[in-house]
Amino acid sequence: MSETYAVDVSGVEKRFGDIKALDGVTLRVRQGEIYGLLGPNGAGKTTLIRAIVGLIAPDAGSVAVLGRKLPDLDVLRQVGYMTQQAALYPGLSVGENVAFFAAINGVESGVDEVLRFVHLDNRRDSVVANLSGGMRQRCSLACALVHRPKLLLLDEPTVGVDPQLRVEFWDSFRRMAAEGTTIIVSSHVMDEADRCQRLGLIQYGRLLTEGTPGEVRERGGSQNLEAAFLALAGRQAES
Amino acid sequence: MSGHRVAAITRRLLQGFRRDRRTLALLFVAPLVILGLLGYLIRNTVVPEVGVANQDQGPLGGAVASALAKSSHLSVSTIDASEGDAKLKDGSITAYIVLPANFTQQAQAGVIAPEIHLEGSQPNQSAGVLQAVQAALGAAASGAPGAGVRVAPHVTYLYGGPDLDTLDFFGAAAIGMIVFFLVFVITIVSFLNERSQGTLERLMASPLRRGEIVLGYMVGFTVLALVQSAEVLVFCLAVLKIHNQGNVLLIFGIEALMAIVAVNLGIFLSMFARTEFQAVQFIPLAIVPQFLLSGILFPVSSEPKALQYVSDVLPLTYAVNALRDVMLKGADLTWPSLQLDVGVVAGFVVLLIAAGTATLRRRIA
Repeated sequence: MSETYAVDVSGVEKRFGDIKALDGVTLRVRQGEIYGLLGPNGAGKTTLIRAIVGLIAPDAGSVAVLGRKLPDLDVLRQVGYMTQQAALYPGLSVGENVAFFAAINGVESGVDEVLRFVHLDNRRDSVVANLSGGMRQRCSLACALVHRPKLLLLDEPTVGVDPQLRVEFWDSFRRMAAEGTTIIVSSHVMDEADRCQRLGLIQYGRLLTEGTPGEVRERGGSQNLEAAFLALAGRQAES
Repeated sequence: MSGHRVAAITRRLLQGFRRDRRTLALLFVAPLVILGLLGYLIRNTVVPEVGVANQDQGPLGGAVASALAKSSHLSVSTIDASEGDAKLKDGSITAYIVLPANFTQQAQAGVIAPEIHLEGSQPNQSAGVLQAVQAALGAAASGAPGAGVRVAPHVTYLYGGPDLDTLDFFGAAAIGMIVFFLVFVITIVSFLNERSQGTLERLMASPLRRGEIVLGYMVGFTVLALVQSAEVLVFCLAVLKIHNQGNVLLIFGIEALMAIVAVNLGIFLSMFARTEFQAVQFIPLAIVPQFLLSGILFPVSSEPKALQYVSDVLPLTYAVNALRDVMLKGADLTWPSLQLDVGVVAGFVVLLIAAGTATLRRRIA
């Protein structure tokens, strides 16, 4: 019997004009896993995430989320998506933004709790337009978490977040994963990659290699994850 | 002041335009379209249709009728006095003149009193007809035996009256136009913000259905638009004292429908703009032609035939017509013409909701 994956991406291709953004990506993420998508700018990380939340329809291949084949609007209720740019309503307060995203996901409570979680409970009434970049990022994360999703997609979540808070974020991510939440994080920060249970390296729209940080080091032939990654990427470019 | 730095700013500006072909096209094409339209409209305006019923048993009536027929400001046809009112109502003529049976005798007595029946809802046209008729009468009367005849026409109005002024005529239309224009601009810009600040992407990755987004927007902006409509209406009626013969709630209802058209047109057109700058460019494209062709300035019936076809597919044409019918003529929903106007505007609402919903998925990033 085949295991049901939280995310099951199979042979997905996507073209934008002449550019092949995804070129046959197959990737499976188990429930409760923290999976890191690594790769240079323009590698296809964001396109892959957008395919997983149903924002783009693949030209070929299929995507299933929490056992449901996309497109499926209802399953999105259990998905949290934090975009790269802190997508918020600048004219609304922090609390109003989070309450809005709770409401469109059919949830009425949890605003206070999630604001404490991202340390913005004392800025609840601040208008987003007046917040610093890091605070906006935290507010954006709160909007993605407020409805307690079973699958959380974070597109470079810690950009602009100070190191101390980044550590707290990761502690929380691990706690959420332990409670069964599946988390997919895209990043090009290597010390973040090390905190993931499994990594997928993406380049030119293809999954180069997949494995635990240890396995990736081994395959790249370096104790330094960044060096291992560069070695693997270079090897691929030569072939 | 450094010439280099100034030149850098100038160059930067022109380089940006080079990649924004749409803005360039607008900059150089829109003025020609708008001025061309305006010129074509004004130069080819059809002169008012006027009916003449000559009942005079003497020779003067015939002389006046032929003087009227020669007027370049009127298009004259011979009618029977009994069918005049019906023709005024159905809009086939804007005035008719009855030269009474004793017309020649009146001239001999020194005062001629032709009857001038005006449709009356368009003060400019009424004034034009009166002027042209007076001129023709004056010319004919001066040639009559016993020159120095005084002209004392007996003027009646089907709608409105001599007190109806230009503001009464434009005010009724402006109520629709102002609401339509402002609601459109606010909707298109804020829907575009939703797109550019990335929140639309988030909405589309949530369980929200496209129809729910469009409907939510529609209701939100409609609430604002209704408050604005009420404010505009109260100001026009209570402060400007614009002539109104109709039901205030009916006027408000037409305004509200027009506001909903504007909301949905804004949502729909925002799909075709990537920046606020480009959204604002829809104003000369979507708003100015409607302003010129919806009958606000020039009656649709006086437009060249080719443009009348365009006017006939613009929602604002129907809203303006409906508002004028209600306010100037006292129309209510039992009038078939008003049923048609309101029905067409409501049809546009449905069409634009469908169009906005259908295009939402295509352009999110």
